Amino acid sequence: MASRRGKLFTENKLPFLAMNVLLSAEGLVKLFPGVKALDGVSFDLRAGELHALCGENGAGKSTLIKTLSGIHPAGSYEGVLRMGEREVAFANSKEAELAGIGVIYQELALVPEMTVAENIFLGNEPKRFGGLLIDWDRVYRESKTLLDRFGLEIDPAAKVQDLGVGHRQLVEIAKALSKESRILILDEPTAALTEQEVDVLLDMLRDLKKRGMALVYISHKLDEVFAVADRITVLRDGKSITTLDAAETDKNEVIRHMVGRSIEDLFPRRVGKVGELKLEVKNLSVKHDGKTRLREISLEVRAGEVLGIGGLMGAGRSELLMHLFGAYGSRISGEVNLNGTPLTAKSRPTDCIRRGLAVVSEDRKRYGLVLDQSIGFNMALSSLGEVTRHGLIQKQPEEERNGNYFRSLRVKAPGLSTGVGTLSGGNQQKVVLAKALMTGPQVVFLDEPTRGIDVGAKLEVYELVNRLTDEGKAVVLVSSELPELMGMSDRIVMLADGQIGGTFTKTEATQEKLLAAAMGKTN
Amino acid sequence: MTSQALAQTNIQTPKSKIPFRALAMPLALLAIFVWFAVQSSAFLSSRNLSMLAIEVSITAVLALGMFLIILPGHIDLSAGSGVGLIGGLAAVLVFEHAWPAPLAILVGVVAAAIIWLAMGSIIVRERVPAFIITLGGLLVFRGLHWLVIHNATVPVSRGGEVNLYSMLTTYYLPPIEGYLLAAGVVIALTTVRWAEYRRRQAAGNDGEQIFLTTFVAAQLLFLFVLICNAYRGVPLPALVLGVVAFLVYTLTTQTPFGRYLYAIGGNEEAAIVSGVPVAKVTTCAFLLMGLIVAITGFLQTAYSGASTTTVGSLMELDAVAACVIGGTSLKGGRGTVGGVLLGALIMAALLNGMTLLAVSPESKYIARGLVLALAVWADVRLSKR
Repeated sequence: MASRRGKLFTENKLPFLAMNVLLSAEGLVKLFPGVKALDGVSFDLRAGELHALCGENGAGKSTLIKTLSGIHPAGSYEGVLRMGEREVAFANSKEAELAGIGVIYQELALVPEMTVAENIFLGNEPKRFGGLLIDWDRVYRESKTLLDRFGLEIDPAAKVQDLGVGHRQLVEIAKALSKESRILILDEPTAALTEQEVDVLLDMLRDLKKRGMALVYISHKLDEVFAVADRITVLRDGKSITTLDAAETDKNEVIRHMVGRSIEDLFPRRVGKVGELKLEVKNLSVKHDGKTRLREISLEVRAGEVLGIGGLMGAGRSELLMHLFGAYGSRISGEVNLNGTPLTAKSRPTDCIRRGLAVVSEDRKRYGLVLDQSIGFNMALSSLGEVTRHGLIQKQPEEERNGNYFRSLRVKAPGLSTGVGTLSGGNQQKVVLAKALMTGPQVVFLDEPTRGIDVGAKLEVYELVNRLTDEGKAVVLVSSELPELMGMSDRIVMLADGQIGGTFTKTEATQEKLLAAAMGKTN
Repeated sequence: MTSQALAQTNIQTPKSKIPFRALAMPLALLAIFVWFAVQSSAFLSSRNLSMLAIEVSITAVLALGMFLIILPGHIDLSAGSGVGLIGGLAAVLVFEHAWPAPLAILVGVVAAAIIWLAMGSIIVRERVPAFIITLGGLLVFRGLHWLVIHNATVPVSRGGEVNLYSMLTTYYLPPIEGYLLAAGVVIALTTVRWAEYRRRQAAGNDGEQIFLTTFVAAQLLFLFVLICNAYRGVPLPALVLGVVAFLVYTLTTQTPFGRYLYAIGGNEEAAIVSGVPVAKVTTCAFLLMGLIVAITGFLQTAYSGASTTTVGSLMELDAVAACVIGGTSLKGGRGTVGGVLLGALIMAALLNGMTLLAVSPESKYIARGLVLALAVWADVRLSKR
């Protein structure tokens, strides 16, 4: 696998090529409608190294991976990709896979109903009798060998749905390795893992490095990055800012490059006047699909206040919001009061909106937008009653109102009749925000409001949060990014496995305390 | 005629797809007319065009009901059987029980409303796919229909007398009234469009197209009245269609209910989270479908002169085909009233022309099936973009 071609250049002025560059990118530019996702990214990856990519959400990490792995096909971006010295142009992800690039995405791509071995060889099954039948013996035997090689105690015959998230992640990696990848790209592989599982994963990665594989590692967790990375490339606003040797730098330097400004400018939270109680939740327990998902949750939010809710994936953050909004699960016990009057278990979203509750959901394409329709259609959808007289929608007031929000939220689009599906993430999010705000809410739930939007749009969302609390509204902010949670909330509740793991004031909160609470360790 | 006017007045659809569809379908229609006119001189006779107007009206009324069901992403396969059942029920009440026609019609309307409300509730509450519930309905209503008319031929009036039921397809608006009505519609249309033009001007948008479409619509409307007057005048079903089309157009483009239909079909989960009362809106769409099935039932049965076992058979498929040909997406969330009317015109013209040419029933089935399959295929291709 180790090519010796690089040796030719050792005497040259390009010594890094001697380090056996497997994959390199030069001057990548990738445009989406309205957004420059990549704006000149250069990057190289050597055999036997773990190269971390750091950057905020929207910095271009995901786009870079998708470009490297052929999901954004050649021709849809500018710039050059090379494997060794050979220029490559992948038409699709399959071609990248054949060239030896394996990718493990944030969202797992395993079939839960199938066994571990079936998943590992899915689409790649060894055959016998001239390709007629699947050679199941080999599937299980080779899966076992593969898992053993990394000291993974996972039964190849176990159903994936019976494994924990951590083990599933490891199965994903085993699957990528079964395809004999030389390059493995891992996108936030530890986002849902416990500390122990993370350790197992990191050991596995060190082992892969020793075998000469090249790894690209994306993580928000800098501790992990420094534990395994050899080099770190920082991306910001679609540009590759710098590449650092992990041994010669520290967390602060990386953060400084990532942010490009100080943390205070990044989260411009203005604490306002705290007023009367807006939302009160007492001992709320909720079940869904026969399982108890939320246990004994109590919290309150006052006018002018931002309550942050954090927790790991699956801790029940979105489920809590959606239950309060009448769109998730059934209530076992507990009480919810909105503006001093009870919100019963029977309240549907329609009632909640009328009562002054608005939600901006985490998955805007799924729960937020009717993508086929225009910006105006989507903005007005939740509050058509406001512009309806004698049963008919009054076009002129409707357009004026849409126009006001269009301008005040600075949606970047040709006009209100532009299809919402053509907008960038940040602008789509603004449309969803406009829709929620147009209902004239008293309490606003923001579930991951800055996910997948660029830094500029993020700041605008934060400004909007300030404006809402200035106007005496209560905001509940769910975020999986601790800096955002700490930066924008006045108080923070951490959920762990459907229960409250800890409550913190702004001054008490530190990353360590919040994480410990999210893991369910009481402090 | 009105269908053309509405096709062009619609401003809801995304702009990118309009040019191809807006041209392709009228061209297909023109080709069909030319083809049949060349094959049979009787096709363009005023008598046949008058018959065609009645047939188009009946198909289009049902298709507009189907449109309200397909927009939120459902389908109604029981519509054709329902047409037979409700028409047969009213015929039996008039012919065998000597009920006054208006009362019989009222009973039919109420029965249809209750049945479709029930189907809608089951589909929404129990989350059974509409496809299955209405497929069941197709068989149950057909059975009930045959039971009600005891597999016989039941005329819509006793001893050839004229009543409201039989008049549905035999009454023609006298020529002068026809022109007056057309003039009235054109004046109303112009007034509305003028206001629209002013509004767009105020918003800084170009409004020139409005004048052109209004002008063309007025021309077509007068042409239609002229052709009808060459025979006996504007047939009553055309007026029924005019009213139904106006109501459905207003409902789908000017009311929150209509917006909700598009939103549910476009993204049901987002609609729920946006506070759209999805259950209520969907049930209501089925209720409206019931009313439209009843109206179609009376028209179609009156057109046949009597309720027989074949009245209404396969009409649901013509209605679905009309919607899809007219650009309504079977996944829901996309489509226009104008498109549906155009689709109905194409389907009805095809059937009328084939009957005129004495095409065998087996070939007619095959042709209908191919048109339906072709239309859905085109829909799938176009929705992928």
